[in-house]
Amino acid sequence: MKFKMLGAAALMTMAVSASTARADCGTVSITQMDWASSAVVTSVANFLMTQGYGCDVQVVPSSTVPALTSVAETGEPDILTEVWANSTPSYEGLLAEGKVVELTDVLSDGGVEAWWIPQYLAESNPELTTIEGIMANPAAVGGKFHDCPSGWACDIINNNNLKALDTAGAGLERFQHGSGETLQASIAAAFADEAPWFGYYWAPTAVLGKYPMVPVAVPAYDEAAHTCNGSSDCASPVASAYPKSKVVTAVAGGFMDREPEVAALMKNISFTNAQMGDVLAWRLDNNASYDEAAVYFLTTYKDVWGDWLNADAKAKLSALLN
Amino acid sequence: MSFYDGLFETFGLSSWCDSGASKAPMSMADLLAKTDGNAEQGPAFPFPSLDNLNESCGSISQTRDVTKGIEEAFLAAKPALKTFLDPLTQPLSWMLDSALYAFEATPWFIMIPALLALTYYASRSVGVVLFVTFSVLGLAFVDHYDVAMQTLAIIFVCTSISVLLGLPIGIAMSKSNGLQRAIVPILDLLQTLPTFVYLIPLIFLFSVTESKLYGIAIILYAIVPIIRLTNLGIRLVDKDVIEAANAFGMSAQQKLLRVELPLALPNIMAGVNQTIMMSLAMVVIASLVSAPGLGVNVLRGIRNLELGVGIVAGIGIVLLAVILDRTSKAALSRVDMTHRGH
Repeated sequence: MKFKMLGAAALMTMAVSASTARADCGTVSITQMDWASSAVVTSVANFLMTQGYGCDVQVVPSSTVPALTSVAETGEPDILTEVWANSTPSYEGLLAEGKVVELTDVLSDGGVEAWWIPQYLAESNPELTTIEGIMANPAAVGGKFHDCPSGWACDIINNNNLKALDTAGAGLERFQHGSGETLQASIAAAFADEAPWFGYYWAPTAVLGKYPMVPVAVPAYDEAAHTCNGSSDCASPVASAYPKSKVVTAVAGGFMDREPEVAALMKNISFTNAQMGDVLAWRLDNNASYDEAAVYFLTTYKDVWGDWLNADAKAKLSALLN
Repeated sequence: MSFYDGLFETFGLSSWCDSGASKAPMSMADLLAKTDGNAEQGPAFPFPSLDNLNESCGSISQTRDVTKGIEEAFLAAKPALKTFLDPLTQPLSWMLDSALYAFEATPWFIMIPALLALTYYASRSVGVVLFVTFSVLGLAFVDHYDVAMQTLAIIFVCTSISVLLGLPIGIAMSKSNGLQRAIVPILDLLQTLPTFVYLIPLIFLFSVTESKLYGIAIILYAIVPIIRLTNLGIRLVDKDVIEAANAFGMSAQQKLLRVELPLALPNIMAGVNQTIMMSLAMVVIASLVSAPGLGVNVLRGIRNLELGVGIVAGIGIVLLAVILDRTSKAALSRVDMTHRGH
C-alpha cells in the first residue's frame, strides 16, 4: 500500500515536471496598438505570459495595418491584439490564406462604431439623435461632421455614407481630421465648452468612457451596402449603420504549433465592454500608465483572469489569486 | 520597506509622512513582488526621485502629480490666453481659408499660366520656367493638381506672414545687442524643439477645426531663418559704408532703407529661400493637425502602407520644393547681379 502511494506520488511529480517542461516557452512577440484598450490587453497578456508561462515577451508598438502587413510578409510579430476585423479589409484575405489565425473575440461584446453627439446636446435637442434631425438643422450640431483621418477604414465608409445621405446638400460640412489625436481633442474641447459636436468615434475607448455621448440613428445596417461603402470605388453608396465590430486576437500562422499553451491562454483572454470601460475609466481618473491599469485589472478581476490560465500557471500565480 | 524610510525617521518626519496617505496606484513592480512572495530587490541605492521618496513618505507627491499640476495650471491659464490669442491669430485663419479657396477656385488654365508668369517675373530665366512648366503639368497629369495647389496656398500664406513678421524683428535685432541676446535663445528653441512639442499646447489652445492651428505651427518653424539672416545681413554691412552714410548726414531711416537693406538684400533673400523650404518641410507634420494638401496623401500612404500613394505625394512635395527653391534662388542671383552692376 505504502509502496503504491509512493509510486503514485512519483508519477504525479513526473507529470508535474513534464507539464512544466512543456509550459517552458520561448520568445513571444506581441503588438501594442496605439490606443488605450489594446495597450491594456497587451499589458495584461504580457504579465500572464511572463509570470505564468515563463515566456520572454517582446512588446512591439505598432498599429493595425503595419502589424498585419508585417505578419503577412515576415510572420512576425506572433500575437496581434485587438484587430478590428470589420474595418481592416486585408484581414479576411490573410485569414483565408492562413497567414493569421483568429483566436477569439478579445472584446466579447464587440466594438461599437457609430456617429455620435454629446449627451448634453441630445438632452437639449432630442431631435438631433437621428440623422434626419441633424440634416434638418445642421447648425445645431455646429455644421460639421468630424470625420476620421485619411487612411483609416472609417474614412472611406463615412465618406460614402455622407454621399448617400447627401449631407453636403443639407449644409453639413465634412471636416477631416489629420490624426486621431485631433479628433479626440475636438471632442474634449467641445465638452469643455458644452459646444455642439457631431462625428465618428468608436467604443470601448477612454474618450467615450469619459465623455458621455449618444449614437445618432442612421439607416439600419445592410451588409451589401456596408461592403460597398468600404470601397472607395463604390458606384452608388447606400447609407448603412456600422455593424457590431468583431474585435479579435489573432496570431501568426505557425504560432499555434510553436506555443500551443500560450495560444490557449490568448484564446481565453477576453474582456466584456463593462470590464474594459471600468479599467479605462480608472486609468483616466488616476492619471495612470497602461501597466498600472493592467495591475488594476489583475488585482480587481482575479476571478476573471484566474479562469484564463492553465493549472500550471495558476499554481505559479497562486500568491496573487488568493 | 523602502530605501529612504530611515531618512524620514531620522528627521522625525514620520507623522507628517503618514498624514498624507499615498494615493499611488499599485505598480507593476509591486505586483511582481507580490507574485514572487519575496520582494524583488530594486537598485541598492535608488536616486532620491519623487517617486522613490513617495514610497517612504506618502506626503511627498509623485511625478505624476507634477505633470498633473502642470496640466491644471495650463488649463487654468487657458481662458486668459485664449481671449488674448484667439482674436490676434484669427486673421491667419481667414487668410489661409481665403488663399485655399482662391487657389482651388481659380481654374487650372488661368492658374498655371499665372504661376509661370510669376516664375518668369521672379527669375527671368527660361530654364527655370520650363522646369516649372513640366513639373506642374506632370503633377496635374497624375491628378495631384488640387492637392499641390492646396499645399502651395498654405506655403504662400505662411511664408508671406513669416517674411512680414520676420523682417522687422530681424531689423530690430540688428539695431540692438540686448534684443539680439534676448531673441537668439528663442530662435534656437523654435528650431530645435520637436514640432510635436509645440503642437500639444496649440491643440489645447485653439479649435482643432480651424486652419490657424497648422498655420501657427508652420510659421513658428519657418520664421527663424528670415529673422536670423536679416539680422546677420544688416550687421555684415561694411562699417566704412555706414561711416560714409553718416558723413553725408543721412537720417537713421534713410540709412536703413537706402544703404543697409539694399546691401543686406542677398542675405535676406537667402533667408526667404530658407523660410520657404522650412514651411514645405512642415507640410506633412501640419497634416497631422488637419492641414489639407500633399501631406494628407503621404500620411495615408504611411497609415495604409499604400506605398505608391505615399511615393507619388512625396515626389510631389519634392517637386514643389525644387520649383520654389530654383525660383527663389534665381531671384536671389538676380538681386546679386544688380548689386554687381552698381
